[in-house]
Amino acid sequence: MTCLTFRNLKYRYPHQEKLALDSLSFTIKKGEFVGLIGANGAGKSTLCGAVMGLVPHFYKGAYGGKILLGGEDEDDAIEVAKTPIAELCRSVGLVFQNPFNQLSGARITVYEEIAFGLQNTGIVREEIRRRIEAVMELLDIVSLRDRNPFDLSGGQMQRVALASVLVMEPEILVLDEPTSQLDPAAGEEVFRAVETLKASGITIIMAEQKMEKLAAYCDRIILLHQGKIVDFDTPDQIFSRDDLSDYGICPPLSYLVAKKGAEKLDIYGWKPHSSRDSQDSRAAQDSRAARDSWFPAEIFAVRNLSFSYVPELPVLTDLCLDLDNRTTAIVGQNGAGKTTLVKLLKGLLSPVSGSIWYRKEDISGKTVAMLARDIGYVFQNPDDQIFKYHVLDEVMFGPLHIGMEEQLAKTRALEALETVGLTGLEEVNPYDLELHERKMVAVASVLAMDTAVLILDEPTIAQDYRGRETLKRLIRQLEGEGKAVLSILHDMDFVYDCFERVIVLAAGKVMGDAGGEVIFHNKELLKQAGLEQPTAVKLRNLRIK
Amino acid sequence: MKTISLYVDKKTYLTGLHPFTKLFYVIAAITAPLIAGKLSGFFLMIGISLILLISGGLLRKALPLVVFTFTILLTIFLIQGLFYQNNVTPLLSLGQLVFYREGLLYAARIGLNILNMLFSFALFVLSTDPFIFVEELERAGLPKKAGYIIVSVFQIIPQMAAAKNTITDAQRSRGLETEGRLLTRARAFIPLLSPVVTSALINTRERSAALEIRGFEAKTRKTFLSERSFSRSDRLGFFLMLLLLSVAVLWRNFQ
Repeated sequence: MTCLTFRNLKYRYPHQEKLALDSLSFTIKKGEFVGLIGANGAGKSTLCGAVMGLVPHFYKGAYGGKILLGGEDEDDAIEVAKTPIAELCRSVGLVFQNPFNQLSGARITVYEEIAFGLQNTGIVREEIRRRIEAVMELLDIVSLRDRNPFDLSGGQMQRVALASVLVMEPEILVLDEPTSQLDPAAGEEVFRAVETLKASGITIIMAEQKMEKLAAYCDRIILLHQGKIVDFDTPDQIFSRDDLSDYGICPPLSYLVAKKGAEKLDIYGWKPHSSRDSQDSRAAQDSRAARDSWFPAEIFAVRNLSFSYVPELPVLTDLCLDLDNRTTAIVGQNGAGKTTLVKLLKGLLSPVSGSIWYRKEDISGKTVAMLARDIGYVFQNPDDQIFKYHVLDEVMFGPLHIGMEEQLAKTRALEALETVGLTGLEEVNPYDLELHERKMVAVASVLAMDTAVLILDEPTIAQDYRGRETLKRLIRQLEGEGKAVLSILHDMDFVYDCFERVIVLAAGKVMGDAGGEVIFHNKELLKQAGLEQPTAVKLRNLRIK
Repeated sequence: MKTISLYVDKKTYLTGLHPFTKLFYVIAAITAPLIAGKLSGFFLMIGISLILLISGGLLRKALPLVVFTFTILLTIFLIQGLFYQNNVTPLLSLGQLVFYREGLLYAARIGLNILNMLFSFALFVLSTDPFIFVEELERAGLPKKAGYIIVSVFQIIPQMAAAKNTITDAQRSRGLETEGRLLTRARAFIPLLSPVVTSALINTRERSAALEIRGFEAKTRKTFLSERSFSRSDRLGFFLMLLLLSVAVLWRNFQ
């Protein structure tokens, strides 16, 4: 039975010349789980918004064609463009990429937050209570019931956002990259919850960058490119296409193996960064060896470090850690203390007890601005960092403030923009860019400062395959230059591929500290820390079995 | 998250009273001495408010408000005591300065009025959850949007403060010195304005989309999570306050 029909849908945002959605015609059956893939800017989020009616009701712009809910026959179906969102929200639910912006901002407990939509639509109290209990159980957030939604970690907040939509019992659930900010375990939980919903007959449309997950869970996948549908077929057919890289998509490793053969891909000989003997990493090692010969490799020494935001809830407890100039990934569940640790290293927070030494000097006597010459830090949310009206000015801000000459600052800024693939956008207002581009502006603005240490907080968020490849190249380049790269990540494939050392944090303590090969084969450790094995490791294990 | 609400959830009889009962207390406490027209009326109401604050365990939280208004009260006594237009009878002199009885009495009236308002409002604000109060107002007919604006302030202002701190951190970490002398800190304030305002606007736009998809514009009548009826205590409170207002009116008429 048809649930959703697109008829020659076209849409253009206000003040834009290019169509964001171009002549889309397809149908989705009731109970289907449809994945939405494509490079950044392909139109995935716009399509999600169109099903919900935000396009055109909220975003306005030029709209043509039709989306019909409930069937192909116009007499029986609801036409999205002619139905107010307040009506549509009874049939369609949308979960945003950023859960922070999905919260109502007017409720002080998770319970009340979930109830918000039901109250607005006049559902009776007893029914509200029944639905909230059921959805909290389903998403395992019963323990968060009385917490303030704004106090939750990203993963917890996303589950609350999902609950607040599911509680409306929509027939169609649209998810716009809902797991991009979640740790692997939380992301898997969301996928499992969504699969449970599918079993109950709900239709699901999910935009996602995690191809492995879509391949595992979806019935069909839409491949979008520049607002047009390139293909709409089963995961097997979609991921077997030879031209996926033309659309900024890297198929799941399992499909690559099936298609090209394991030996050809050398998947079974696949080694993590730490033990790979490529020309690149040899060059990096040579460079590091040369540098290490005239100053010690130790960058940070963390001694008995404890920190808490409120006395009763310690975040880090008696942490001891040495960080050298190997590329290092810090992994762990949302709320494990990863961002707190790097903020302490950067001097943005002061330890409750213990000390941090940077190159054998206690950082407690230095201001953050003083440390900026040596330690660069890219924030998770680029909007916290951007404030100039031109990309070039934004990228030059850091270099100028650490005392670089203007000409040199400009040269460094242009180089940094070229590295992150933003050449040509120097005069554009950063706020006019897409999130993935703003994230790259934030990276470039720290890269241009040419610091000895670069800390990246979730650099892969919002990045598609091409963006991730750019970041990989950047990390290898910095490694080759002998710089220390420290990154917080939830993407284990990226960690396995790019980082020599992996530090596993859980509940403010170091649970594991070794190369990727060791960490990702320790299943007990991964389970405790809520992590999962990278795809390459999983595939290798399958063969061994 | 820190909230800007002053509400103290002590689970006492005061927090258990209906918000409208406490609101009516504020109205009665302010108007009764004004109707009665006697200084003793102010003393009586201040006394009642203090007893209620003490019995509700809220006095310590109310005292900073008194300290805050101390400068204003002192200024009133100085100005009125020295310069009140009807000053005739000198009461005390400090060197060249002569304080008059009429001026000081007038200042006492204003001062007591301020203190009375302060204590009664303190009682209301410290013992009433603003979210429950707005919910009751909405139940009584306040438009949903107006209610949202009021309660969102309690969440959004702390969020903006947190955003300001994060943005400051981002700028410090790119070499902008924000610590040290006043001039340094003042200079660091300017680049802060644009991202704070811009991020607030971006968040507001996205949040309004989030509200839309959760039925905020629905024409149906909103439902409420809890039923709050007037208890016996509330009815007794209303009765006592009506009695108080009646006594004030009688006192005024029979003087």
